Amino acid sequence: MIRLHIAASAPEALATVVPLRAGAPPPAPAAAAVAATGFAGHAGETCEVFAPAGRLLLVGLGDDVAGEAGWHAAGARAAAALLALPRIALDATALVPDQATAFAAGACMRAWRFTRLKTLAEPDAPRLAAIDLLTRTPEALAAAWGRAGAGVAGASFARDLVAEPGNLLTPADFAERLALLTRHGVGVAVLDRAELARQGLGALLAVGAGSAHPPLLAVLRWKGRGTLARTAAPVAFVGKGITFDTGGLCIKPAAGMEEMRADMAGAAACAGAMLALAQRDSPCPAIAVLALAENATGAASYRPGDVLRSLSGRTIEVVDTDAEGRLVLADALAWAVRRYRPRAVIDLATLTGSIVTALGHHRAGLFDSDPALAEAVAAAGEAVGEPVWRMPIGPGHRADLDSDIADLRHCLPGRMQPDACHAAAFLREFVDDTPWAHLDIAGMEQQAEASDLHAVGPTGFGVRLLDRLVAMRFEG
Amino acid sequence: MLDIAFAKPVLPKSGALALLLEQDAAAGSPTAALLEAADAATDGAVSRALATAEFKGRRGQTTTILAPGAGLSRVVAVGLGKLAELSDRHAEDAGGHAAAALAREPAAAVATVGLTGAQAASVALGAALRGYRFDRYRTTEKPEDKPKLAKLAVLTAEAAKARDAWTAGRAVAEGVFLSRDLVSEPPNVLTPAEMAERCRKLESLGLKVEVFGPKEMTKLGFGALMGVAMGSACEPRMVVMHWNGAGTGKGRKAAKPLAFVGKGVTFDTGGISIKPAGGMEDMKWDMAGAGAVVGLMATLAGRKAKVDAIGIVGLVENMPSGTAQRPGDVVKTYSGQTVEVINTDAEGRLVLADVLWYCQQKFDPRFMIDLATLTGAIIISLGHEYAGFFSNDDTLSEQLRAAGEATGEQVWRMPLGEAYDKQIKSDIADMKNVGGRPGGAITAAQFIQRFVNGKPWVHLDIAGTAWSSKDSAVTPKGATAFGVRLLDRLVATHFES
Repeated sequence: MIRLHIAASAPEALATVVPLRAGAPPPAPAAAAVAATGFAGHAGETCEVFAPAGRLLLVGLGDDVAGEAGWHAAGARAAAALLALPRIALDATALVPDQATAFAAGACMRAWRFTRLKTLAEPDAPRLAAIDLLTRTPEALAAAWGRAGAGVAGASFARDLVAEPGNLLTPADFAERLALLTRHGVGVAVLDRAELARQGLGALLAVGAGSAHPPLLAVLRWKGRGTLARTAAPVAFVGKGITFDTGGLCIKPAAGMEEMRADMAGAAACAGAMLALAQRDSPCPAIAVLALAENATGAASYRPGDVLRSLSGRTIEVVDTDAEGRLVLADALAWAVRRYRPRAVIDLATLTGSIVTALGHHRAGLFDSDPALAEAVAAAGEAVGEPVWRMPIGPGHRADLDSDIADLRHCLPGRMQPDACHAAAFLREFVDDTPWAHLDIAGMEQQAEASDLHAVGPTGFGVRLLDRLVAMRFEG
Repeated sequence: MLDIAFAKPVLPKSGALALLLEQDAAAGSPTAALLEAADAATDGAVSRALATAEFKGRRGQTTTILAPGAGLSRVVAVGLGKLAELSDRHAEDAGGHAAAALAREPAAAVATVGLTGAQAASVALGAALRGYRFDRYRTTEKPEDKPKLAKLAVLTAEAAKARDAWTAGRAVAEGVFLSRDLVSEPPNVLTPAEMAERCRKLESLGLKVEVFGPKEMTKLGFGALMGVAMGSACEPRMVVMHWNGAGTGKGRKAAKPLAFVGKGVTFDTGGISIKPAGGMEDMKWDMAGAGAVVGLMATLAGRKAKVDAIGIVGLVENMPSGTAQRPGDVVKTYSGQTVEVINTDAEGRLVLADVLWYCQQKFDPRFMIDLATLTGAIIISLGHEYAGFFSNDDTLSEQLRAAGEATGEQVWRMPLGEAYDKQIKSDIADMKNVGGRPGGAITAAQFIQRFVNGKPWVHLDIAGTAWSSKDSAVTPKGATAFGVRLLDRLVATHFES
């Protein structure tokens, strides 16, 4: 986690970043360099200046008054260019608080990295560890950063979890890592296998049956503040947390299987969002229900053709054991809506390859039972730069799930299926009448290569979206 | 086509009869009166049978009663649901269900008591659409195995109004049938040249038809379309169909035409990037986009739509051969932009590139809508329930969505964006013709968008909806003609003077 200092000066910083609109005059020490390089302040442009008084990095903002996304991008570009320096400063003296915090958040997000498992020193490795945010009014900006910084902290927490390999983050390890949240006032409860069996979460138990690491249901609870805490039903987040997904008996091809350590990114995002809400002391009560399991091949693995009895009472015919995410979510969703009667439930899951074929790596798929909720989710995603696209659940998608032996089957055999739509139609069966949105974030949970705007590896996708959704829709 | 007549609602004395019945009909309602009349004639047999079958009149519920008496050979009850909630689409579906249940009867009547004349015409349209069958190549089928229904009397109190509405309905059905015929034809019969000849026949409806051959297209500089075509022994064609129905009355200035563009790959082997053998026979319908455009133009002309419209289809066969295009080839499109061909099986967009550029340059249309069985990715995205569409125009998008809702040819909007566009950057040319698996239908749309020159535009990817593997209420399995009714409705609702 990058440390951020809000101050009027930054004597320890090794370089200072100055954001510039197109055509704006550069600071005096940079004038010669700007003239020589032709830096014009276009969005995406940077210009490094080694001035006698200190190293400067000019970051172009383009013509328009940059919105939140523009400031976020400028911050990310600055950090990307200066990753080699342990400490840098961002000049926010000319910015209003919202601009300054987006600028800083972008830099912090880009500077994130996962180095815990590296034991050898790498001379060229990024070293950026601290950022000074320069302002004339540190107190005012500190208050604003409290809100933005909470989202960054939540996203970093989620990224750290997603980055962990499958041997080091089993369901039990995941649950232990949640202890951090208790320090921020979040209640954490964990239902173990015996309790899951007692309560009848048959779908989650089946998915976890093949693994030496038993499945768990982790429940996070933020009580909120003030009137809402006393009167409002909570918002519920439900996350798919498959700590490693081999595919089970329907085993995946070997190539690329190592990425399946990230198949718990939905659960990580929900946990990160809870951290963000707690850290910024959101008035809105919220719960997160994380379905944690490893989908392994084993002598006790569940099989294609098995019929499971889910918590809802609904029986499910298993077609493909690699469509395990919707099974664990079915129980987690049913558990969440029965236990808490939430005002809305939003689930996040790296659920289908189908959504990657549909929307690629630039938007998550959004399915819903409630157009107003869906619009709010889409607006929150747009605002924080985690874009989503609404996808349909048609009557035919649900009809496709009719089973000859059980109440429904969880997917269809064969390729060329609209599996993301089928999965969503399946999940909708388990939320009763609760307003529900489902984010299929497969393809969005990791970044294959580093770019100016994104660190390589886990993205933390969904954390800032959920945090913003709560702020925009559920705190009034 | 089913011979449709409209007549007063009098219970027939013989033959087959379909009763369209409201759910939970109140005593004294037209539906209740109809049932009473049927019962009076059959000594209560109809009511008894319906009670036994637990027929409640729910939408889509159908019960058949054989020889209930009174000289009737068969009575079919079809549920309408609540009359207050009955849309045109529901009425069409009821007509379709009735036609399916009456298929063994040479002639039948369908009673639409309680429905308006316009709804009765919708019932007729649904019945006609369901009655379609592509029979040309069955030579040994026994006569008793063939569906027989040829004449349908639609009984309605508003026969005159129904007849009026049916004038347009009939034209729609004829356009749909033309499209289904073209799509059903096998690829050895329906070559590009043959399809162009069939387009020419539309001149009899008042359309002006121009046909371009390889010489003309080469001269114009259609490097992308000609690149796809060069592997086949069958020459490519481009057909331009003009419908000038807006008229040029006093004080009316000629409006820009609407333009519809179709992908017409009469058979798609994939070319050198050849497809797997399993299911390749389906690739005869890789011209369904063009088939829809032809059917639409026939519909507009058939119902004398008050609009100026252009329909253009790019017709090629995609074959592997010694003269075929290769992966790695770079072609120059009519627009001047160059394309690196990575996969010769992404040929549809190459054809559309030249045809769309030609369309906007030649006709400066008000908008262009292209239809294409373009990607497998759209099937994995949406399945067979919705076609995917992409657009640079929000108003047109909303109009199209509503037209889909109204006709049952449903469409779902998919995104475009710079991030997707980057996926088709090429190292050697202006772009490449595929952008990888992620977002495969979107990158195809991004490719096409580079050839619309900023004009208002919609791209419909109908790969999942052009062909159906099972019967639905108004569409027997096989070619659906998806797009004909959708676009006809769009034109009728928003663009006729």
